[in-house]
Amino acid sequence: MLEQLQIISKEATSEISKANSLDELNNLRVSYLGKKGRLTLEASKMKDLSKEERPMAGKNLNETRASITRNLDEKINALQLLEDNKQDQSLDTTLPSDPIISNGRHPVSQMLDESIKALRRMGFSLASGPEIETEWHCFDALNTPKDHPARNETDTFYFEDGRLLRTHTSTVQIRTMGKCNPPVRIIAPGAAYRRDEIDATHLSQFNQLEGLYVDRDVSLADLKGTLEYLLQSIFGMNTPIRFRPHFFPFTEPSFEIDILLEVEGKKSKWIEIAGCGMVDPDVFNEICKARGDDYYSPDKVSGFAFGLGLERLAMIKWGISDIRLLIENDVRFLKQFS
Amino acid sequence: MKVSIDWLGDHIDLSDYNDDEISDLLTFSGIEVEGIIKYPDKVIVAKITEIEKHPDADKLQVCQVADGGKTLRQIVCGATNFSIGDKVPLALPGASVMDNFVIKEAKLRGVESRGMLCSQAELGGLDGDGLWILPSEYEIGTSLNKIYPTVFDLEITPNRPDCLSHVGVARELAAVCKKSLKNHNNQENTSNPLIKTNEENIKIEDNQLCSLYTLRRIENVKIEPSPQWLQSKLESIGLRPINNVVDITNYVMMEMGQPLHAFDSEKITGDIKVRKANKEETFKALDGNEYKLQPEDLVISDENEALALAGIMGGANSGVTDKTKEVFIESAHFNQSAIRKSSKKLGLSSDSSYRFERGVDPAQVVKASEMAAQLIKDLAGGKIFDEVITCGTYDFPPRSIQMHLEKCKKILGFNLEKDKMTEILGNLGIIALSHEDGITDWSIPSFRNDLTRPEDLYEEVARILGIEKIPSIQRGWFSKPSDADKLHDFVGHFSDKLSSIGFHETRSLKLISESQISDCICSSNKKAVGLKNPLSDDLTHLRPGLIASLLRIAERNIHQGTETLRLYETGTVFTRGKEIEERQNIGLLISGPQNRSWLNKKPQAADFFDLSGVLERLIGESILLSPSESKGENTVISCEIILKDTIIGKAAQLSPARSRRMDANFPIYTAELDLAIIMEKISTMDRFTELPKFPSIRRDISMELPLDITNNKIISTLNNINSDILKSFELFDYFHDESGEKLNNEKKSLAYSLTYRSDERTLKSEEVDKAHNEVLKELKKNLDVNFR
Repeated sequence: MLEQLQIISKEATSEISKANSLDELNNLRVSYLGKKGRLTLEASKMKDLSKEERPMAGKNLNETRASITRNLDEKINALQLLEDNKQDQSLDTTLPSDPIISNGRHPVSQMLDESIKALRRMGFSLASGPEIETEWHCFDALNTPKDHPARNETDTFYFEDGRLLRTHTSTVQIRTMGKCNPPVRIIAPGAAYRRDEIDATHLSQFNQLEGLYVDRDVSLADLKGTLEYLLQSIFGMNTPIRFRPHFFPFTEPSFEIDILLEVEGKKSKWIEIAGCGMVDPDVFNEICKARGDDYYSPDKVSGFAFGLGLERLAMIKWGISDIRLLIENDVRFLKQFS
Repeated sequence: MKVSIDWLGDHIDLSDYNDDEISDLLTFSGIEVEGIIKYPDKVIVAKITEIEKHPDADKLQVCQVADGGKTLRQIVCGATNFSIGDKVPLALPGASVMDNFVIKEAKLRGVESRGMLCSQAELGGLDGDGLWILPSEYEIGTSLNKIYPTVFDLEITPNRPDCLSHVGVARELAAVCKKSLKNHNNQENTSNPLIKTNEENIKIEDNQLCSLYTLRRIENVKIEPSPQWLQSKLESIGLRPINNVVDITNYVMMEMGQPLHAFDSEKITGDIKVRKANKEETFKALDGNEYKLQPEDLVISDENEALALAGIMGGANSGVTDKTKEVFIESAHFNQSAIRKSSKKLGLSSDSSYRFERGVDPAQVVKASEMAAQLIKDLAGGKIFDEVITCGTYDFPPRSIQMHLEKCKKILGFNLEKDKMTEILGNLGIIALSHEDGITDWSIPSFRNDLTRPEDLYEEVARILGIEKIPSIQRGWFSKPSDADKLHDFVGHFSDKLSSIGFHETRSLKLISESQISDCICSSNKKAVGLKNPLSDDLTHLRPGLIASLLRIAERNIHQGTETLRLYETGTVFTRGKEIEERQNIGLLISGPQNRSWLNKKPQAADFFDLSGVLERLIGESILLSPSESKGENTVISCEIILKDTIIGKAAQLSPARSRRMDANFPIYTAELDLAIIMEKISTMDRFTELPKFPSIRRDISMELPLDITNNKIISTLNNINSDILKSFELFDYFHDESGEKLNNEKKSLAYSLTYRSDERTLKSEEVDKAHNEVLKELKKNLDVNFR
């Protein structure tokens, strides 16, 4: 039997080394190790051996089985590796991908989201108000003179019932102070409307982000800290920012904020980006009158307010020169922001 | 307003600042510099000596000009408004005109041209018609920027009318750079003791509208062009010289901010009256137009007719002409809002009305008149009458504001010393009168009508101190999240989901045209809110739904060759019910194949089930799309979107007819959902489900049934089956043959796979068979089905 095992082992080794395909090897595995394989048949002869011969024969049998199995596995591995390498070599990795489509948000929304993220880190929460507003909320309460040009029908959209489309999101300041007691710390993104012809720099409807912070002892220093943090969050922590004195009916003192825009190959330029100021005491007085209490008396509270144009922010951030691109929604344009 | 740096130099020494530094000083005092007009280098005065037609071009002329060099210079020029002997600006080679266009020697149609003759506009000025014909006195070869120094174009905010003059701007600069004005005379401008008055010849009807009216008489004047210095001063800030007297009135206005008017006294009959216009009164103004007046318009009139529209414009018949011998100089103080109303109503504004409607210093009325009179005497000859004819009051009581130092520090967030504040305000002419208990009483100069409250003084301090001195504080408290926060986050969540499956977010105008309303195919209420005063026919209504905007965007993109459309927009929609309602919606549009690539050359175009798939992905749980009772305009399929028995929106397929009008090659599917309702109805997972411990067994059902039995009916039936072990079911095949060859075309075949499982033990095959038979029985009982 030992002799026989030696022959089987030898033949198996030779046949395995000659085999060239996985199929052949699988057949060999069956023909040697299968239920009716040569080795299996040989093993069945064990029962005919004497008690003394058995251990030796068993050991030999196991060794032969292990060696054939190892040979088979090695050969299979070798063949598979050969096959694997072939596959790798045939692939042109420079062919275009099969793209997984994922698109994204409108640039104005991205600007808005970034602003909101920064302001929420500072503890602002969101507020909203209607876009169809009363003249009181849009102008009177915001200390706008009765004969101010912004109230003209040439500048503002009106409805037959005397209401109007808000010309700024500052109306939400009034809405919020009307229903919430101080302190308040809110931001209000939303649409505002002006009766302007649409051209490369004007839209009849655009998006603003309003902010208001009213509490005891809110100061110009708070305003400065908040807006610097906000604008540097959006445009980079090293972006130079300047405050220029300006005039708005609803804030005193009032400022416009510029950021220094650097475009490669061009002279850097200060770009106006927001209006802000300390809430005018006349706005507080009007709120007190409307509420019938003195929670917002300028003797008790102070506050700051600001407004950013979101289209403008997006245009500056990405160097978009025609504002109409932002409302045309050409997919080729939108794709660039995804 | 245009301000000449040279002219400012009459009042303040700015020699140690360059133009950019002055611009910064102004900017940080709150006066925005909108532009700096500076004539370019290498532009000189040249004289035309010869003009010939260009041999090869009808529209060009070949000129020889004297430029101060030894020989004449040949220039080819397209303008025709000049003749031999005229002096014009010549841009020499190397000069940079019209936003960095550098002049070079060149041949124009074969003729050599060594420079360019320029219009005012080409050099950065205003006038663009033809060459700029310069006054003949200018010396040939002089650099133009020597004659016309730098001019700043300033934006003066409406609260600062005191800066609408060179003195005003100089005053402001003096305060910010801590210099004193030349001839500083703030304190003495309240009255002029030398003036004798005669009130007999003027009558003011309503002293609310005109508090002071003065006339100064000058006889024996000689009307002629102004001297060169005056002409170029006016020209430099964009005013056209007319004659010496008119130029002087303009000069004084630009110098002091007080508008003046000159009448030819021979054209005035009898006494002067400042009165309201009569009904139906008409007035022929200097601009040549005739205006219909109304009783709220204020006029200056003599016995016969209106001579001037008070504070706005003089009359055509009473103005100064070449023949004028004797003039009256008017200097007055008119009511701001009266002037503004008249000017707006008549659509007539002027440098004068611009200043009056913003507010003019009442204290300088007489001083301005005096200055004009002296200049007329000097430049036009003539004798000034000592007597000033006046009516009204000189009495402008001094004003003061009480300010709490501590309050000011609190608002600024800066610990400002009292002395520093006194210095800052002092430089602005605001003087501390008294100080008691931390409250200071500050006197306000007559020209600062904008300062009325302590807060106005805080602003002055912040402005002059410079905001860079104010520290930046970063502090605050926690805010409670609001409903608006929740909505924002919810929309953000939806956006993330939609972005990840290939959608673009769009943002469009909320104003649409009337014809677009019928495009809001997913809105049940199409009563749109219309504007009273739309600007154009295509923006007349607020959108009642989002689909109109999305269709317009789709159309635009289709015309650009885009096939794949996956669009969504969120935003306000406006409808008119009992009240006008504003709601926040999300609109979706899908059309065309998902993604064409070299690997997938013929991807399938989006169909209805892609739309429902997106909706389910969005909502995150199963929704029912139930056909609407009425289909509605422009749709071929229209469904209510139902989540837990509540309608949350609508889905629709655009009608082929409407699609064709957009040139769409693929069907267009849209849906619109109400965000507030979804937010309320959507489930959030609050506990996870244990993974099954025992294996499940599947059984399939295949059935034939009439077309009108919907999937929803089968699901309802299956859901109503009372079985502990039927855990889930799922459609895996649908078949319908329109031709009827493989299956009767009035029938369809549906196949569902049902999953049975127990949470307590491994099920036996017999148990499942029994349960499954129950299911078949129930289906058969409730619905007209045949199992296959």
